[in-house]
Amino acid sequence: MSDVPFKNPGWAGNTGEFDLTEDQVRGDDFVGERPKHGGHASGAGTMPYMLAGKNPEGPLFEGEYQERFEKILTRYPTKRAALLPTLALAQEIRGHVSPESMDRVAELLDLSPAYVRGVSTFYTMYNKRPVGRYLVQVCTNISCNLCGADEVVEAFLNYTDTELGRTSEDGNFTTIEAECLAACGYPTCVQINSRYYENVTPAEVPKIIEHLKAKGGD
Amino acid sequence: MAYPFVSDREVRVVSTHFGDPLQRRIDTYVERGGYGALKKAFGMGPTDVVDVVKSSGLRGRGGAGFPTGLKWSFMPKEQTKPHYLLCNADESEPGTFKDRELIRWDPHQLIEGCLIGAFAIRASHIYIYCRGEFFEANQVLARAVEDAYAKGYAGKNIMGSGNDIDITVHQGAGAYICGEETGLMNSLEGKRGQPRVKPPFPAAVGAFGMPSTINNVETLCAVPHIVSNGGEWYRQWGSEKSPGTKLFCVSGHVRKPGNYELPLGFPLSELIEDVCGGMRDGNALKAVIPGGSSVPIINAEEVARCNLDYEGCVAVGTMLGCASVIVMDDTTNIVKQVRRMVDFYAHESCGQCTPCREGSAWTAQIMRRIEDGKGTAADLDTLMEMTQEMVGTTICVLSDSVAAPVQSAIEKFRPDFMALIEANEPAGVAYHG
Amino acid sequence: MAELVKLTIDGHEVSVPKGTTILEAAKQIDTLVPHYCYHPGLSSPAMCRLCLVEVEGAPKPLPSCVTTVTEGQVVKTQSEEALGHRKGVLEFYLVNHPLDCPICDMSGECDLQDYVHLEGRKHGRGIEPKRVFGRDDFGGDVLFYGDRCVMCTRCVRFMNEVEQDECLTVVERGNRSVIDTFFDEGLEGTHWHGNVVDICPVGALVSKDFLYKARAWDLDHTPSVCASCSQGCNVLLHTRDNLVHRVKPRENLDVNAWWMCDHGRLDYEWMNVGDRLEAPLVRGNEGTRTAKSWKDALADLLERASALDDKSVRAVASARASNEDLGALAELVGAFGGGETVFRSPRAEEEIVLKGFPTLARRTDLAPNVKGAGLLGMKRVGADDATGGLESVAGHSGIVVVLGDALADQPEDFGSKAGLYIYLGTHDSAAAQAAHVVLPITTHAEQEGTFTNHEGRVQRFWPALEAPGMARPAWLILGALDAELTGEAGPQTAAEAFAELSEAIPALGGLTYEDLGTRGAVAGTKGAVVGTQGAPAGAAAQAARG
Repeated sequence: MSDVPFKNPGWAGNTGEFDLTEDQVRGDDFVGERPKHGGHASGAGTMPYMLAGKNPEGPLFEGEYQERFEKILTRYPTKRAALLPTLALAQEIRGHVSPESMDRVAELLDLSPAYVRGVSTFYTMYNKRPVGRYLVQVCTNISCNLCGADEVVEAFLNYTDTELGRTSEDGNFTTIEAECLAACGYPTCVQINSRYYENVTPAEVPKIIEHLKAKGGD
Repeated sequence: MAYPFVSDREVRVVSTHFGDPLQRRIDTYVERGGYGALKKAFGMGPTDVVDVVKSSGLRGRGGAGFPTGLKWSFMPKEQTKPHYLLCNADESEPGTFKDRELIRWDPHQLIEGCLIGAFAIRASHIYIYCRGEFFEANQVLARAVEDAYAKGYAGKNIMGSGNDIDITVHQGAGAYICGEETGLMNSLEGKRGQPRVKPPFPAAVGAFGMPSTINNVETLCAVPHIVSNGGEWYRQWGSEKSPGTKLFCVSGHVRKPGNYELPLGFPLSELIEDVCGGMRDGNALKAVIPGGSSVPIINAEEVARCNLDYEGCVAVGTMLGCASVIVMDDTTNIVKQVRRMVDFYAHESCGQCTPCREGSAWTAQIMRRIEDGKGTAADLDTLMEMTQEMVGTTICVLSDSVAAPVQSAIEKFRPDFMALIEANEPAGVAYHG
Repeated sequence: MAELVKLTIDGHEVSVPKGTTILEAAKQIDTLVPHYCYHPGLSSPAMCRLCLVEVEGAPKPLPSCVTTVTEGQVVKTQSEEALGHRKGVLEFYLVNHPLDCPICDMSGECDLQDYVHLEGRKHGRGIEPKRVFGRDDFGGDVLFYGDRCVMCTRCVRFMNEVEQDECLTVVERGNRSVIDTFFDEGLEGTHWHGNVVDICPVGALVSKDFLYKARAWDLDHTPSVCASCSQGCNVLLHTRDNLVHRVKPRENLDVNAWWMCDHGRLDYEWMNVGDRLEAPLVRGNEGTRTAKSWKDALADLLERASALDDKSVRAVASARASNEDLGALAELVGAFGGGETVFRSPRAEEEIVLKGFPTLARRTDLAPNVKGAGLLGMKRVGADDATGGLESVAGHSGIVVVLGDALADQPEDFGSKAGLYIYLGTHDSAAAQAAHVVLPITTHAEQEGTFTNHEGRVQRFWPALEAPGMARPAWLILGALDAELTGEAGPQTAAEAFAELSEAIPALGGLTYEDLGTRGAVAGTKGAVVGTQGAPAGAAAQAARG
């Protein structure tokens, strides 16, 4: 394999024959800081981040979040269509979508709570229960699996001393298996909160975890 | 340029600027000729734009390969109610990773393609339905759309043309089935992303009950180039029925996995051996899935005969799908990999149609049992018969996608299954009568 | 008349209006294509995939519930291909089904049992562990057995589209999907949720009230009319051992379609209450009451009447009595010497409308025959809770007749000044004690008759229960008395009683039982085309479950 170039800045994926920094691959240098109020309304619905800092009791849809919610509403001909982005907003604040959040979202969008529950449970990205500061989603679908994704899952579980779907004792890491993350050329792909960590091998896992612990924030 | 590896066999149309972080910036994009095609399209009028795309023979890059120009021509010519253009960026077919690259490296190419498409079908609003997991790529796209608004390439009176077209980047929430066009529409409307019964077709009753057209990211990315250079120009590549270039997402056991843009009809064996640098660790090729996990697996002998276009794949009993080439070498446990794919479909089945809801999970259970060495030869018959009842009996084709890998694997790699079955089955005693 | 389309189904040529689905068209040749998600009163999601049929020229089997007919189409519902697909789909239904028929309330009337028996595989191939959801209390009268569910979503669609209170939903997806409510909230507080039990094709949604009470095959079904309000929902009384065990709606597109409200559905225990008046009681001069034969009791009554100077009548009727009973009462009042008849009936504060079928509501008049009593010139008195208003009757010195009103609010001296006080009722009460003659009558569940609903539709009901002891329909008793007084023969059947009434009351316009059929007719419409009994193919049809 030595003749095949391998560079993986900040686990942003093998840049192969390209000389790129992590920021350049991820686009951070271009995107910069996007404000919590959502910026231009056209992209306000893309804003929900999975943040390390979660406040399960946090106030929903106040201040900047209220502003972002209102921007989202302007982009669709129906109120119902704002449901997915609004649920994502609730999850950004609280880390998961609780029954209380569903109830509140239902009220805001004139929907029945049961309907909101039906929709939110259809989609895997809404966490039904609280998760750790870092939600580690390891792709184990075919392309990653062919290249050792099962061992990567094992490595995360071993190093954080927890079981699949459980949160580590320090409250930092919840590891789950994910379906194809559409980074099949960079196996194994691991999504940690909102970031992709690509070309992850079991050997890289401790480094990633220590890096996250040291970083503290997002 | 292909990314992260390049090959001199490539023909770069939509991937020209992969790996170039400057391309995201609107000033660079415009300097390099960006939004020229949009201006040209505005000058041509919607009907001519549809005609040029028709003449190029561009086929939908999302998997079905439906001619794009024809699809656009189904939209009502008079705009009596709002029309919508939906861009399908909910890329989640296992093995496929082209749309994320197109979005993150060249967002304006997509935006320009969307605007031209919207103009052609007289749509006033574009929804780009992005996969929810693509936080990073979505931020790039959202920022680019913001820039397009700021510079007058989106919103009211685009480039002084009098055309008003809005763009909204919509983020999904984790459901493979939302890549199915009517599932996407339901999801966009804030519903469970379950595919709809057709008819009515989207061009008549689509998103929000209005005439809508839905196109894949890669399809729309090709549009500005076709409008700029003409339909004949695009036809210089590929075959009569499958013209143009296509991004091939190569993953699995090759030395240089990645995205390569090649003319349609490119030989699969050359893609693996030449473009991708051959098999990893010098192992032998065992099997390839040429179009994402939903298409039948082919063996080494079929690989040698396979040309990568819509017809060439059908000729060897598989499909081009979205050209996601998953390569497996001879160390691969086919039973395990097929089981993993079936697990995926069972997880992602929307649960509406009974054959899919029950069949996918049942298939996964049987596959798991065989993988664990508790299967019987009779299980293989059950699998073949039962998955056959999942073909063509449901609203969408997710169910068919379960049958394809299972049936093709059993047909072509039966010894792999039998090895697991015979290793553990007590001689003469069936696990189940 | 809608444009007709000609097609061939299973070799038979069929003509149906344009827009008809194959599934509905097949009913014309008495072919039922098995289905779960399709229900004529709901939208069709075509998701159960059971109604697949072969259509010549189509590359795939088509769901007959949403595929509309086209000219010259050749449909095969029973071909090897169609049967093969349905057999395959039925096997999928059984992969996770618990097969707990022996303890399932639906057993015997279950579409899964029936279809598997009809078209399914003889031997199952599923040996994997089954998915388990367990049992959930949905609130109200509804229990949910998730493991039995076939995910047809009829219940969800009923709550969304018809009741329009979206309190049921599908949660999760794929084979983890299951019907649920919003956590601890449920169906309580909704007024039509019993219908989800009716339309559930399997035993997933069951009635708590009916749970384990009877096996479906032991129940007799008698067509009747709900007596809980003046809407007149068509129902079936399900009985066993001379007890009503449950009430189910009976399809009538002109009145209640396939639906009925929960109040009416659960308002049946009174039909089973014992402690009934079982024999005519005649009070002697010393005050004690003696049970007598009908012949003797009526003779005593007539003798006492003939001795009276004041034969003016004050009568109290009931809006729960049939048209036939009320008509016979009116005749008798006239035969005695004339007088006024009043009735009392409870009134609810507001209507409870079924939003998705707004001609159906729980009406404010909580008795089935308020309109009928009104058509007969009887005067409504008393408060909204059906008390009071009987002052002119209570102290009347001539003849007092009470029919069907238990007089629960009346004092013991009610009627004590009357020369003759006749009480016709099902139960004894303090105010009945003063009657000279107490005559035991039947409830509407024990007799044949008609009610006139709020819009004037006259609808028949049939006897579902044996009458206790010597109780008889009031029209028969009153008719016999009338015959004695007038010398004209009284009616011997309910049909005769109704025909006489119908001739006497212009508003009824000469309707007969034959005209009424099983779905009734609006008074005054004789000769006109009545209702939708000719039933449009798209909506007609599926007989109410039961």
